[in-house]
Amino acid sequence: MKNPGQRLFVFLFAIAFSFSAFADELLPPGFRPVPPGVHALVGGKVFVKPGEVIESATIIIRDGFIEKVGKDISPPADARIWDMKGMTLYAGFIDPYLKIGTVGEVTKEAKKQVDLTSGRFFGLPGGEIDPGNTGAGAGVGLIDPQRRISEIYAPDFKNLEKMRDLGFTAANIVPDKGILRGSSAFVQLSDVDPNRAMLKPNVAQHVVFDNEGRKDMAYPESLMGIISVVRQTFFDAQHYATARDFYNKNGGKRPEFNPALQALQLAISKSVPVVFEPDSALMVDRAARVARELHVDFQIVSSGQEWRRPDLAKETGASFIVPLDFPELPKLPADDDWEQISLDQLRAWDWAPENAAVLRQQGLEVALTTHGLEDKTKFRKNIKGAVDRGLSEQDALAALTTIPAKLCGVEQLLGTLEPGKLANLTIVDGKGYFDPEAKVREVWIDGRNYHGDVEPAKKDKKKDDEKTDKEKAEKEKKETEKKEALKKRLAKSPLEGRGVITNPAGIYIYGATVWTSVSNEKPATLSILISDGKIQKIGSFKADAGPKTLTIDARGQHITPGLIDAHSHSAILHDVNEGTLPSSAMVRIGDVVNSETDNLYEELAGGLTTANLLHGSANPIGGQNQVIKLRDGASPEGLKFAEAPQGIKFALGENVKQSNWGEKYKTRFPQTRMGVKTFIRNRFIAAQQYLAGWKNYSKNGGSPPARDLELEAIGEILEGKRWIHSHSYRADEILMLLRLMQDFKVQIATFQHVLEGYKVADELAAGNVGGSTFADWWAYKFEVYDAIPYNGSLMRDRGVLVSFNSDSHDLARHLNFEAAKAVKFGGTPEEEALKFVTINPAKQLRIDKHVGSLEVGKDADFVIWSKSPLDSSTVCLQTWIDGKKYFDRDLDAQRTEAMVKERAAILEKAKKILGADGGGDTKDPEVKKFFRRSLEHQYDGVNRHCLDDEE
Amino acid sequence: MRSQINIGPGARAAGLRVQSKLQQAGKLPSLLCALAICSSAFISSNAVADALVLMNVTVHTGSGPVITNGYVMIENGKIKAVGPGNEKPPIDEAPKLDLKGLHLYPGMVALDTALGLSEIGAVRSTRDETEVGDFIPDVESWIAVNPSSEIIPVVRANGIAYIEPAPQGAMVPGQSSVVALDGWTTEEMVFKKQAALHVVWPEMELDLTPKDKFSGDKSKWKSVEDQAKERDKKIRTLQDFFSEARAYAKAKAADKSATTLQFIPAWEAMIPYVNGELPVMIHANELRQITHSIKWAQTNDLKAVIVGGRDAVLATNELVAAKMAVVYENVYTPRYRDSEAYDIHFKTPSLLQKAGIKIAISMGPETFDGPLTKNLPYQAAQAIAFGLPEEEALKSITLYPAQLMGVGDKIGSIEAGKEATFFTMNGSVFDMRAQVKHMWIAGKELSLENRHTRLYEKYKGRPKAK
Repeated sequence: MKNPGQRLFVFLFAIAFSFSAFADELLPPGFRPVPPGVHALVGGKVFVKPGEVIESATIIIRDGFIEKVGKDISPPADARIWDMKGMTLYAGFIDPYLKIGTVGEVTKEAKKQVDLTSGRFFGLPGGEIDPGNTGAGAGVGLIDPQRRISEIYAPDFKNLEKMRDLGFTAANIVPDKGILRGSSAFVQLSDVDPNRAMLKPNVAQHVVFDNEGRKDMAYPESLMGIISVVRQTFFDAQHYATARDFYNKNGGKRPEFNPALQALQLAISKSVPVVFEPDSALMVDRAARVARELHVDFQIVSSGQEWRRPDLAKETGASFIVPLDFPELPKLPADDDWEQISLDQLRAWDWAPENAAVLRQQGLEVALTTHGLEDKTKFRKNIKGAVDRGLSEQDALAALTTIPAKLCGVEQLLGTLEPGKLANLTIVDGKGYFDPEAKVREVWIDGRNYHGDVEPAKKDKKKDDEKTDKEKAEKEKKETEKKEALKKRLAKSPLEGRGVITNPAGIYIYGATVWTSVSNEKPATLSILISDGKIQKIGSFKADAGPKTLTIDARGQHITPGLIDAHSHSAILHDVNEGTLPSSAMVRIGDVVNSETDNLYEELAGGLTTANLLHGSANPIGGQNQVIKLRDGASPEGLKFAEAPQGIKFALGENVKQSNWGEKYKTRFPQTRMGVKTFIRNRFIAAQQYLAGWKNYSKNGGSPPARDLELEAIGEILEGKRWIHSHSYRADEILMLLRLMQDFKVQIATFQHVLEGYKVADELAAGNVGGSTFADWWAYKFEVYDAIPYNGSLMRDRGVLVSFNSDSHDLARHLNFEAAKAVKFGGTPEEEALKFVTINPAKQLRIDKHVGSLEVGKDADFVIWSKSPLDSSTVCLQTWIDGKKYFDRDLDAQRTEAMVKERAAILEKAKKILGADGGGDTKDPEVKKFFRRSLEHQYDGVNRHCLDDEE
Repeated sequence: MRSQINIGPGARAAGLRVQSKLQQAGKLPSLLCALAICSSAFISSNAVADALVLMNVTVHTGSGPVITNGYVMIENGKIKAVGPGNEKPPIDEAPKLDLKGLHLYPGMVALDTALGLSEIGAVRSTRDETEVGDFIPDVESWIAVNPSSEIIPVVRANGIAYIEPAPQGAMVPGQSSVVALDGWTTEEMVFKKQAALHVVWPEMELDLTPKDKFSGDKSKWKSVEDQAKERDKKIRTLQDFFSEARAYAKAKAADKSATTLQFIPAWEAMIPYVNGELPVMIHANELRQITHSIKWAQTNDLKAVIVGGRDAVLATNELVAAKMAVVYENVYTPRYRDSEAYDIHFKTPSLLQKAGIKIAISMGPETFDGPLTKNLPYQAAQAIAFGLPEEEALKSITLYPAQLMGVGDKIGSIEAGKEATFFTMNGSVFDMRAQVKHMWIAGKELSLENRHTRLYEKYKGRPKAK
């Protein structure tokens, strides 16, 4: 039982051969008789495999297999002779990723009965709204790993013919719905019944980061939720095997039978790979990391946008299945409507044909697929586009033959024209497949010939004749211009003009008024010496800087530590909330850090260097946070503040009891502040029991407990390894959580917003809890009617550790001004007010050993300002992180100009092409792709507050 | 009942909870009245000074040069005289107030705000800024300003003296008024009832989201072509409305005794606007909205102002040619185009001003920003940091908005003959650290106490918890 998949494969292989040795069953009269099975294809140019060509070769096919290939082979006497002169013969093309819906009907599955008594905890989120999955299985909607294409594949021959017209002879049919979708099946694209067509029933397990079809309020709504579900389900499957094994040996409590977890055993044992379709450049990275974490073999379906971060694609080391569904230019209603097309959209359009080549340049294996193209006839044109933009013809051929054969585990049967392989061939006119004009004449599948597309009568030929020569010439000229324009990319890499500006070996700054944010120090003229990313010396000294040291004359300017935002949602992919369940402790912001958003640069330009990315406030126990440094240009992992301890978002009050969500949302527990306490207490007790279960197991053995990522995270809070940052407004709820956590001996790190913190400042101070508040937001909802701008000062006066946060991309660009308001309201001294956005949030996030003040040994994160940081007319001039410069106001105009120019150039190219073809209908699927805003830039410039993002 | 309206610890919440029960029982008005009297009592506790001379103060006139160590004389609610300290006030025997070390600024004018009309954004019952209907020019905003709003004293305490509460909605949501942030009743507060007509230019931006990616109700998705058709139709409808209004105005002018013409309130309301006598505030943020608005206003001889103006800098030439002013509401709006500079909206006021365009800065009409209207000067401050001259920045929140509302001869600067509306500060009005020390509206000195200061004092005095 070491490798059941492989055994199955060998078994199938044996069957295939055994059939070939005998004649087919004699069919009764009335059926078309089985044709003779021996063929000689003579005189064609044969690509035996990519890179190996034989001119005027002969191929002998016998009973569905290739018997011989070579130059001087005389056809056997029993062979039917096929003249292949002037033809190019390839191994039959394979599509490794063909969705079931595109080739056949999907059988309707039996309606499952609703059973709400199972008690499976996926949050009990208002039974009326979300029953989750019904029947046996995973319990979460969209998790259907038990679905098997081999059992539902029912091809529509018309659709198969369309695939054959493109030269495809076989395909891996993949499931088309859900997150964990089930297993794919490899079939021949021949007009035979599915039993005969099927070559391999379980090719791969399929995971897609997509929750389309989700019911309202059904978990998971967010991308981080999707990833959490994938993770949890695989862990459940691992546990399932061990628990059943234990039961079989030792008896005890009978484990459940779960077909979903059963189905995943093939992937867990690496008998089949898991194919991830991550759908965005950054999720490619995440998919690979999750796959490694789960110890599964994996392949990746390209998002079409790996050009954004080729480095991340390279790091995956994965094989990529690459769609060729390039965006096409639209015909917009008015010329000035082009105004709203962003540089990023134009880039995505311009880069698209080059993506396959980019992946190859990273040394990655590439297989091509028609997936994504609703009009699959565009495949030929687009593969030419990819070849024109750097994909070699040899790589392209491999991507249609050997690579997909390997990825689907059928390389012993298909992929090359070598003796012993199945007789799958793709036969193309003269110039070969990569000339879109050359027709696919015929394909062979299992030694059977299928005629290609009969040449359609040219409908517009007459029209052409009527046109004058001049018009024709004009049209041709435009057409040539279009072709030439398409060949050249004008878009730049989004990594250009971004990231580290300078990284000097050493830095010596003198003359500036330095706000150190160290205990009682007042702003003073100090010198700073920096090397290795750390502050080496600070004080009144003159340094004799060596030639490798950058000297900055900062006379007249002010320097502060890099600003720190204890509450940000600025760099999160997709939803900020997994607000479906009252506890989503298992979801991790760390899974969805958005390193590509322009927000990073804009916040750097306001002096921000560190941010606490938090889950929203839609539920009492939210997701796990991620502290980042704004190292623009780095990868998501590269942004992470390695030394920052883990945390988690909690929330109280109106948001979590759905007060402002509308009449529909009245059934999820909790709906009152009473319920909020009850719920949180319940989960902590559950976590205590969970930890006790594991402790008992490690001490006494027995049936292994299941890993539960929700309770694991709450358990970490109990163990002091995970810090709570709780959204809160009213004094009563603040006290409630403080006391409840004290009951569990848990130290809360911060109350976030804590707008009535001033009413219970003594209690907060005594509880040693930080208050991370707004400078002056108030009155936007009832629970903040008592919010006052004196809150920060009042809490500080009573000994609370206070910070001011942004909770908005806008405020994150000028947190220093928020700090200034504490001077006005309540008279906090200036250097103390600045601490609200430097050392205090650093302490609250437990990263003050590294950042938050300018002290020897700390990270060289600092900002140079034109005036006092609290002066309303100050401007941030430079922002440095780890001794590297990330923002320089002097260089910004240049940067902007480059972008404006780039956009104009791509737009000009687009207009040239539009001049030739007028642009596509906006309802055309490929034109719609032009409108797609990349996940990475969807929320650029959007002020996402945790308070209004819950729906 | 008394204990419930008493402002003691915990009592406020209890009182409001009782309110909602009373509301169901139809008893709300009486209780609200009780609360209203309570709070108005200190709003208007100070009597109008017949004459008063403010001495030794740095006068930021908002119209002329700054007078260091100057004086301002108030008489009967108006400014009698302004001058340097070495000059004698016209009535030397008037009582004097020494304001040594302080700065005097004209009361700020906050345009296009939900303040006064909306109390708490998330509580529907406290909102009065949006009506039903696309063409309701006879709606006037001052009617619904709540004199007992808890927000108003907070905003006023930072030097905001006048607001333009704006009706919101689509197309022609009504007329705005100029309202002083002082008065026992709405009537006492209103400074100009019919100040401007608001026009919300139809959305020009196409939603390019493909149907399959459309979030929410997919039946609401529209194709790009359908959106373009709808957009054109909306613009035509708006233009038709104005053409009809002009026809009515013409008929009215011809038929002075109004013997045959039916009196239609909506058309009546439109007369001063189609005649170009009063300003039309056209809400337009996006470039296409701005350029279309300018063209339309010009061909119709409207006295138009662009409100919002996010992309105004891209239409600089058109704005200059049309001599149109901009109420700029996007200083702190993150940039919209990914090929724009990070500071595009910080420097837009400066760029427009340098091109010769008149700028008023506003926080905008979001209900969220109503309670934050006190921060108006800091939006102007950010514009200063990015190039707007300080005196222009001051005018953009005082004189220019007053002029745009047609009351520039009465308020907006410290000049003889104008309302005695100003405030003192211990620093620059643009400095977030500086504090307001005195406030006068129409010669009446007002308390700076408000919900915030009351809660501050109360909890500052909380005995240390055991």
